[in-house]
Amino acid sequence: MVHNAVARRMAAVAACVVAVVALAACGGTASSGSGSGPLTIADLAPFTGPDAALGPIYLASCFGATRAINNAGGVLGHTVNCKSVDTRGDPADAVPATRQMFASTSNLALVIGVTSDEAASVVPIINSNKTVVFGMTGQSEFDSTHFDYFYRLVAPDLDESYAMVAIAQQKHYSKIALAFGNDIGSQTFVAPAISAVKKAGMTLVDNETLDLHATTFRTEAAKIVAAHPDVILTEALGATAASFLSEVKQLNGGTMIPIIGTSASIDPAWYTSVSGAIGASTLASSFVADNLVVESTGPAYLAFSQNLLAEKGKVGNTGNFNTYLTAPGAVHLYDGINLAALAMIEAKSTDATVFRPFVEKIGNGVPGATVVTSFADGVAALKAGKTIRYVGPGGPTNFDSFHDSTGLFEVDTYDATGQVKVVGQLTPQELRALAG
Amino acid sequence: MNLLFASLGFGMVTAAVLAIASVGFTMQFAVTDVLNLAYGAVMIVCAYVAYAVNQAGISIWFGVAVAAVLGALISVALNRGVYTPFQRRGTSPIAIVIVSLGLTLILEFGLQAIVGGNNVSYRVSQGPTLHVGGLQLTVVQLVIIGLSVVAMLAVHTLLAFTKLGKAMRATAADRSLARTCGIRTDRVVTVTWLISGALCGVGGAVFALDAGSFGATSTDLFLVLILAAVFLGGPGQSYGAMLGALVIGIGTEVSAAYVTPEYKDVVAFVLLLIMLAVRPTGLLGSRA
Repeated sequence: MVHNAVARRMAAVAACVVAVVALAACGGTASSGSGSGPLTIADLAPFTGPDAALGPIYLASCFGATRAINNAGGVLGHTVNCKSVDTRGDPADAVPATRQMFASTSNLALVIGVTSDEAASVVPIINSNKTVVFGMTGQSEFDSTHFDYFYRLVAPDLDESYAMVAIAQQKHYSKIALAFGNDIGSQTFVAPAISAVKKAGMTLVDNETLDLHATTFRTEAAKIVAAHPDVILTEALGATAASFLSEVKQLNGGTMIPIIGTSASIDPAWYTSVSGAIGASTLASSFVADNLVVESTGPAYLAFSQNLLAEKGKVGNTGNFNTYLTAPGAVHLYDGINLAALAMIEAKSTDATVFRPFVEKIGNGVPGATVVTSFADGVAALKAGKTIRYVGPGGPTNFDSFHDSTGLFEVDTYDATGQVKVVGQLTPQELRALAG
Repeated sequence: MNLLFASLGFGMVTAAVLAIASVGFTMQFAVTDVLNLAYGAVMIVCAYVAYAVNQAGISIWFGVAVAAVLGALISVALNRGVYTPFQRRGTSPIAIVIVSLGLTLILEFGLQAIVGGNNVSYRVSQGPTLHVGGLQLTVVQLVIIGLSVVAMLAVHTLLAFTKLGKAMRATAADRSLARTCGIRTDRVVTVTWLISGALCGVGGAVFALDAGSFGATSTDLFLVLILAAVFLGGPGQSYGAMLGALVIGIGTEVSAAYVTPEYKDVVAFVLLLIMLAVRPTGLLGSRA
């Protein structure tokens, strides 16, 4: 419809557009303080992009924990509030967002969130700003790299890979297919999973990488179905898991191939998306995931569930909010916030350079320490002059020299109504037998 | 060999969805001189409206029709409320592209603020998977291909055999000359926004139907595939966009079968770069 000269001009405009789009995709300075106003906990995580469901989980956890803290009198006369900082799940956006967070947040007391999407880029910045961070990344580089201010209460990806293969062993599967997203967080599972599959004497029949920005995965699904696996080990967040798994089901004649997911799939957004695409009953009958053992009864769970459920609705449309009670991001960050707040009180300072050692002391405990299961109990015990060990809904903490604390694994699934059920346990021996 | 035929079939489905969206995009671009990068955002808004209709217990195919109407209305509103005022002030084409990028963010993040970060799916049975000569397609996928063929035939009929189509082609070629010849170009431009917007709405709904699961930002990469199809075929060329969509759709799926799937969208851009190097006007550019 247009002349060639116009077409050439438009091609030039198109080249400019590509450059503009690339620049638009790219996205800062720093400080933390302890003035007289409220203390701020920053949830530094994806709120937009393919992993947009992660940020709200951590924010819900923050709302629950700060509710418990503020109801118990706050921290050293300060109330505590939460702030979301969107990394868009991309290091290029996360770095300026982190710098802007430090520049614009007065009384920044703690950072939570930090997924594998952005951890490698932002943890050095947070550490250089001497701010304590409880991260959700499972990346292996944090298994052996020491950052003074970085703490992790979730399992390393390495252990989760072994846990997935151990579940496959328990279920006597022998032909394994892998389907992981092409994001950093998902790809870290692949190499250890392949190694564990070999060590377990199983056969790897296919390994597909799923582009999280793509919208259909028919060819990838067809390759997996053609390989006739007994089970698919997978982690693919956003809309990817739902699209991919529904295509697997279609191409497999309407029958779902069994799926083993990571703990990231114990998440209401993941459930809503995948159950909507393949059906809740199909998901209930064909899916299990590894997850760290968390409390489902007792005083720690009771305090956690009451505070979290009281904040229901504050993070928008989340699907089944009850799933947050077992979601690793909600449970472990709630514990992290309580640990940091109690450390501030025992150290009598909100300065991270002063309270940081107390995080380990209260988490790991010292001989003769009084076990407390909530922030309020911890404050009361500290006021009574006792030394304390905090054991929250995520169970006992055991920080190693890299500030990692890993617990025991369980096997979870969803029932047809979307409730999380524990259907098995994994022993440390089972995992060790698969380690490289 | 089976995988080749299967991926060819999957490529046809991708091409069908891409063709509906690309033809609307390129028609809009040719006649209105606006490279509307908010097109993808309008698509996903329409996809969510179809979702709302579907959630109300109504057939998704009615939802597709509602999406078409809404796409047309939003597009006309964007033109009247945003693009035309900028064009009247003599804003440069590249500045209007930036404006459209801003609109994309406003629409997508506005939508996300309403619907949340969860991904959703239409309530529709895909039907049985039919195996024909190595192709593996569901009934819904066949309907999408059929819908695309009908849309392409309708666009062809409009452009080749109707007075409006001739007026659109004349306005695209030279708006001043067309006006001198008595064509009411303002009206032609408005009708073009309506038609291309309807294709945008249908494109959004079938995109979501084909993807199986979608969120507020799901069309971000798809818009880039639309641009690739449009510029591969020749900017402003409706038939070129159809051809470009076919090449991109089949190219991406076949490459996913034989190269790593991670790079399947990269293949689309390699094809585009080769085309721009060899034939800067696109596949059908010289036939204008």
